[in-house]
Formats: sequence, structure tokens, C-alpha cells
Amino acid sequence: MTATSEQQLTLPEARAYLLDRARERGVTLEVYGQRTDATSIRAFDGDVSEFKLSARQGVALRAVVRGAWGHSFSENLSRPALDRALDMAVENAELVAPEPGAGLQNWPPPPALDLYGEGLSGVTVEQKVTVALDLERAARDADPRVTSVPYGGYQDGDVYGTVANTEGLEREDRQLYAMQMIAPLVSENGQNKMGRDWQFTREFTELDPTRTAISAVEKATELLGAKPAPSGTFPVIVTGECLAELLALYSGMFSGKMVEEGKSPLAGRLGEGVASPLVTLVDDATLPRGLNSRAFDAEGCPSTPLTLIEGGRLTAFLHNAQTAARAGTQSTGHAARQGIQGTVGISPSNLILSPGGADAAALASGLTGVRLTGVAGGHAGANPITGDFSLQAEGFWLEGGEVAHPLEVFTVAGNILDLLAGIEAVGSELEDTMYGVSAPAVRVAGLAVGGA
Amino acid sequence: MLDQALVAEVLTLARAGGADFSELFVEDSVNTTLRLHQGEVKDAGGGNLFGAGLRLLYGTRVVYAYTNDVTPAGLRDLAGQVARARGAAGETDRTGAGGLDFRRVDAQPLYVARQHPLQAAGRDKLALMRRAHGGAAGVGDVKTVDVNYLDRVQRILVANSEGLWAEDERVWTRLSVTAIAQDGTLRQTGFYGPGAGQGLEFFDDVAPESIGAEAARIANAMLRAGYAPAGKLPVVIGNEFGGVIFHEACGHILETTAVEKNASVFADKLGERIAHESVSAIDDGTIPGSWGMVTVDDEGMRGERTVLIEGGVLKSFMVDRVGSMKTGYARTGSGRRQNYTFAPASRMRSTFIDNGQETPESLIAGVSHGIYARRMGGGSVTPGTGDYNFAVNEAYMIRDGEIAEPLKGASLVGNGAQDLRNIVGVAGDLALGQGMCGSISGSLPTDVGQPHILISEITVGGRA
Repeated sequence: MTATSEQQLTLPEARAYLLDRARERGVTLEVYGQRTDATSIRAFDGDVSEFKLSARQGVALRAVVRGAWGHSFSENLSRPALDRALDMAVENAELVAPEPGAGLQNWPPPPALDLYGEGLSGVTVEQKVTVALDLERAARDADPRVTSVPYGGYQDGDVYGTVANTEGLEREDRQLYAMQMIAPLVSENGQNKMGRDWQFTREFTELDPTRTAISAVEKATELLGAKPAPSGTFPVIVTGECLAELLALYSGMFSGKMVEEGKSPLAGRLGEGVASPLVTLVDDATLPRGLNSRAFDAEGCPSTPLTLIEGGRLTAFLHNAQTAARAGTQSTGHAARQGIQGTVGISPSNLILSPGGADAAALASGLTGVRLTGVAGGHAGANPITGDFSLQAEGFWLEGGEVAHPLEVFTVAGNILDLLAGIEAVGSELEDTMYGVSAPAVRVAGLAVGGA
Repeated sequence: MLDQALVAEVLTLARAGGADFSELFVEDSVNTTLRLHQGEVKDAGGGNLFGAGLRLLYGTRVVYAYTNDVTPAGLRDLAGQVARARGAAGETDRTGAGGLDFRRVDAQPLYVARQHPLQAAGRDKLALMRRAHGGAAGVGDVKTVDVNYLDRVQRILVANSEGLWAEDERVWTRLSVTAIAQDGTLRQTGFYGPGAGQGLEFFDDVAPESIGAEAARIANAMLRAGYAPAGKLPVVIGNEFGGVIFHEACGHILETTAVEKNASVFADKLGERIAHESVSAIDDGTIPGSWGMVTVDDEGMRGERTVLIEGGVLKSFMVDRVGSMKTGYARTGSGRRQNYTFAPASRMRSTFIDNGQETPESLIAGVSHGIYARRMGGGSVTPGTGDYNFAVNEAYMIRDGEIAEPLKGASLVGNGAQDLRNIVGVAGDLALGQGMCGSISGSLPTDVGQPHILISEITVGGRA
């Protein structure tokens, strides 16, 4: 175990120290740093069951040595540990195959985005605790069939990020969020059902625990009285939330990295029709209220909105600097890191499937089939390479456009591209989701349902 | 390691707000990740995870805080923060005082790595990966091969206000291969990824070539498969990673994390028959060198072998400290966490259905129309309801007791409490498979396992 007498540097100090050492050694280096100060509070049975304070920081290093990339990271910000991290990045680069054009750049300045709001400094711990307690109480009081609230709570975070490199780039960004989530369990006649709702905001005062709790309870009680689903292929209304969940599962198919490695069902289809002409899909990192908004990406490339599908036609892939260089195009500002561990990949920011003209009644008009409200098991049942899915599903049976009854757990199977191509109508109301994807409800011609 | 006087001071300071219990968890981990794509080294990374977490208990209420600033000043500051945090949630009525006399937990390592990952060169790890690549590349219709290598060495200290002092070093190594077979527009992936709580000597027993070969075999076998049917059918589930069914369907709801909240259908079923009499299930932290091995858990307790179900009767839950306080059951050495950023929770280790009397052949022979799920993918469960789902990576129709054509795109969905009763046959070919299990205290290496089993009826989600 490492000695603890070594002084820990701050992130800006560590960044400067590493870049100085790299310049001394003639190493091309990128330093990515992140610090999160977060509070999370869970309530159970009217009391605070868990209170968590976190302060986590670290640096991720990326070195270019003789045209090859090497990665490392460290949460230990003492000078000896940072020296070891730099050594490790250089040694790793020596293992990796060189790549033409590997290098770092000093990007243009990012757009001005206020993702910090009023801050949380004026908010007391007591106020945060009150949100968690109110949320749980409101759920328990909302309906006598609520038997417990296994999951729920308040969370906030103050996130500082920085990217700098030996080419002269130096970027800093700070954002804030406060959110609440609740999943009550309801029970009736031996059936147990769970609903879930959430709220994300950059202003603490906008949180409305009662509203979120009541909505989650309604989502759960709606599912009571479920009957077995029939098996077969039926027309389906996919709710905005469910469509967003499916798009989130398959967002990797737009990644330039998946495309170049032959792991996207969209590989080689740029410019072709890949969805119904009713489908337009945009990625926009600059929305002030977006879950995944940011002024610049993990390499410091400035954020700008990007249309991925326009009128059903595939218009762009998501790129970071490396995949863009290999594909002969420009970075779209979608370099991403999962924390400080691992390498620089690609991920979407906020995906938005543009709303259409159909209101809820018009969408379901005359339809006998399934209203699909949620899917689960995506990490196993959704194949990102082929687009095939077979998922646990939740929803309702519709008769002539009206809800007849909820359905017992069933499965839904298909392919994401077939689903997008089969969209016959697009709803007018956009639903935001916890996945950073927003979508309206859509009607699709047919999906395979597995039930009793 | 840290100075005992400093740790005692921090644990005492943290209780200044009146906490009943304080616990410090310090971690210094080093990991390596390597990726080979089409035989070329694409990514080489790794680094140092370094931090400390401090847990306070007020009754069963938890206050947890963590920091990367593992210096005397940083730890004292952390202790002050957690002590004050409680002020928000209730009255404080006691001041912590006095020193601590630590008792060291005598935990002889269950296994000692012979080829320690920190002593091995990156090139040696790459050599293993190239062998795995060679086992898959060009086999049948395999066109794309990815090989991932991971090792992790986690050094921890757990000390608490009861005077416990436990240190441990955990070593994990894993090699996984994803093979993609392709023929025209048909494509299919095969995945195989064994790992162990061992050093590189693990690959003396499990040859890297065989890992690649298995991934390639699955991809080729499934390439021209038709879609699975949908509906309720009898299913024979393969051994090894097939145990994911028990993990998802039953394991999670036998953790006190679920039991204590009444979010488990088994909460009040101890001593009752919950499964077919042929089913016995065990959660074992004491298998030397296994992926799910727990020499000491993340609360400083020695690992145990816990019989969960014996002859169909529920015998025990998996219990951590807070779970024990809430439910009254004794702790089982099941307190685990991904790293210092998580408070520990009751979690699985190596969880498996024990051997039974049948053979794989006799189980299949008994099915006239059903499915053989030879290789399972991952899955998930909703604890409150017990509803679970998981993907089948390699499946075949069974017709008249014989394995017939391959099937793709199948998933199995069901309900843990019901399906456990539907396990009507258990073979004798128990094997363990490795996975990462995500839950409240993070993502943890766990073994799943079973012999071949027959489920009399389960919902198959297909589209044929």
C-alpha cells in the first residue's frame, strides 16, 4: 500500500506537473482530469437509510510515442504517482501498433454554455434530506397498494473537468446537477409491479418530489391486473420513453469506432435510407438542460449539433479525432471517456428523435395490438452488432386504440433497423428520459411478442 | 500500510456525531487492460485506483463518504465531514473518545498467485492474447476477432471501531474473445471469457487457444441459425455459465439487500421448500483461485461457504453487516464492494446449483419438444417482483429427445420464485463460469455455475 505522507496535488497542479514532465521528456501528452463532489441520499420507511458524500478525482493520460497511443490513469495525485502514471502511458504506447497521423491538436474554443446554474452552495444538507424523505413519503401516501419503495433518492453533483495537451490546449468546464429518482412497488391480488420516474435539473429549486412520486406510483398501478400476453406479431405503439430506451441501447451503431471495426449494422450505409422517412435523429451536446450536455468533448473538441438521420437517410456518424482521421473526415466532437479509466471512445451526447404531427389519440387510432411502455435486459438481449433484440417487455393490450388491460411480463423481439424502418406515424410529444435520449411515441407495423 | 494510531484516530473522530460504528476501507489497486483487434494491439491502458471510504452506522442507517486524499490531513477531514453529515439526519448525543486496540484478522490467503500480474511484462500478456486470437481467427466463417485482457490487483485495508484490522490482496486475471462469423449479410457473434482469482498461471490450465476456439465455435454454430420460437417450452440449460439463471432468478433475492426491504419473495420462506427436491444451491467464497473467491470480505470478515438451498428447502440468505442487523441472521462473509467508492452490501461470490443424479443426455432425452440453451448470455432481475430475463447465446431445438437445428435470438424470461419450482432435473456435470455482477455496491467478479438442468416450462422470447 502506498505511503500516505506524499502530498496530493490539485487537478490544475497535477495537469501542469504532468505537461512539464512530458515536455522535458519530449513526449506528446494529453491530460484529462475530472473531479466530482457529490451527495446522494436514500430514504426508506420515512427515514434516511443512506447518506453518501463523495469527492473523487483523478487524471487520465494519453501519450503518443513514435506514432502509437498509450494510456494510463491515476487517482493518486502525488508527484511520484504521477511520474509512475507517465511512465506507464509511455510503456503502453510501446506495446501498441503505430497509427498513421496519431497526434494531438489545439482545438478552437468551445461554445459558451452555462451548465452550472445558481450552484448548490446555498442549499443546505437539510433541504436535500427533505427532498429524499418527501419523495418516499409521497410515494407511500399516493396509493394504498404501495407496499414498499425499494429504490429512490436524491443525488447532486458538482463536476469539474479539464483537458489539456502538450500542443497548447487547455480547457476547463464545471457543471452541476440535482436529480431525484423513485421506484415504488405496488401489490394487488398477488401481483407485484414496479414503476419508476425521475427528474433531472440544474437548479435545485425546480425539483418537485411529490409530482415525481405520484407519477411513479401511477406507472406501477397501471400495470396491476395484468393478463398474459398472446404470442404473435402485432402492431405496436412504442412510447417515447421505451423508444428512447431502445435507441440508447443501440446508440453505438452511430459510433465511428464501431463502424470502422465492422461492429455496426449501419457500416457502409452513409447516405442511404436506413429508417422510415418520418425519422429524423439529432445529437445535440449544447442543450442547457440536456443530461449529457458539454461545451467540449474528452479531447477538447468543441461541441456542435449533428444530424445523424434526416428524413430516414443516414447523414453522419459520431467521430472523435482518431476515427475521423481514419475515415477521412473531421471530428464531430464525440470523444468520450467513462470516468478516467479506460481509453478514449465515442459516445453520443443528447440524442433527440424529432417529434412528428400525430397526437396520442391519432397515433393509436383503431389499433388492436400492444402499447409497449418499457423493455429490460438490454445488456444481454440486445445485440449491438446485428441490431437484433429479444427483450423482457412491459406494456398494455390495445383494442381499437383503447387500453384493454396491462400485460404480464412478455418478450418483444425484432431488429432495431427494421423497427425504425417500420415506423408509420410519429407522435408530437417529446419525452425526456434518464438515458439522455428524447423521443416521441411511434406506431410500428409489427413486432414479435412472446407471451403465454 | 497505514499507521494504526492514525486509523484509530480517524475511526474515533468519525463517531464524534454519535455513530454506533465506524469503518475505514482503504484501497490501492493497479489494473491493466489490453485489447487486440484482428491480431493488432489497439489499446493498452491501466492505472492506479487509490482512495479511502469511511462508513458510519447509526443503528442501521448508513453514512458513507470517500476521498482520494489518503493523507493524514485528508482522512481527518473525511472523518469530520461524515461526523457532521449526521447532523442533518438526526440528533447527536455522544462524543467519541478513547483509543482502539486493533485485532488483526488472521486470514491466510486461500490462494497465492504464482505468476503475479504486477511482475509480468506487458509483452507476456500480449503473447497470451495472440494465442487466443490464433484459436479463433479464420476458423470456419470467423472474419473478426477481438481479444480483451484484464488484470487487477487490489490491496485493501478494513479497520473498524470494534478493533478489527484486516488486510488483503486480491488478484484477478481474465481473457475474453469475441469472434464474429460472417457470410454475406448473415453475422453472428460468439463470446467466451474465462477468468480467475489467480495470476497468469491460470492460462496454464485454460489454454488461451481454447478460449478463442470456443468463441469461434459458438459464432459458427449460430451463423445460419433460424429464429427461436416464442412461447412456453421445456428448456435444458447448459452447465457452467448456464448458472446465470440461478444467479438472476434466485441469487439476487437471497441477498439481504433485497430481503431486508421485503423486496424479496423469499423474505419469509426460510426453512420452507422453495425449489424442486433435486435442487441444492451454494454460494461459496472459499474456492481457492476462483473468480468469486473472498479470503476476507470488504467488511473484514473471512469468506464462507453458505448453503442457500438444500434439497429444495431454503437454508440461508447471503448476509452482510447491515443486513444482519436488519434481519437478525448471522453474517456470512458476503459484504462486498467494487471499490472504495461504494459502501459494502450483501453480494454473491461463487454461486452454483450443486450436482444432481441425471446426465445431460438423460435430460435432453426426456424432452419431446423444447429448447437446449447450451450457452447463456447475461441477464437481469427486478428484485421487487422477481421478474428476470436473460439472453441465450447458443441454442438448439430439441425434437423427440434429440438435439436438432440451431436457434438464434432467444431470450428466457420468467419469475424466480415460480421457475425454481420448475427445475425438475439436475445433471452431475457442475462447472463454474465467470461474470461481472452489477448491483448496489458496484460491479463485482462473481462465478455462476451449475450442471445441466431441465426446466419443465419457461417463457422463451423468440420471433419465429
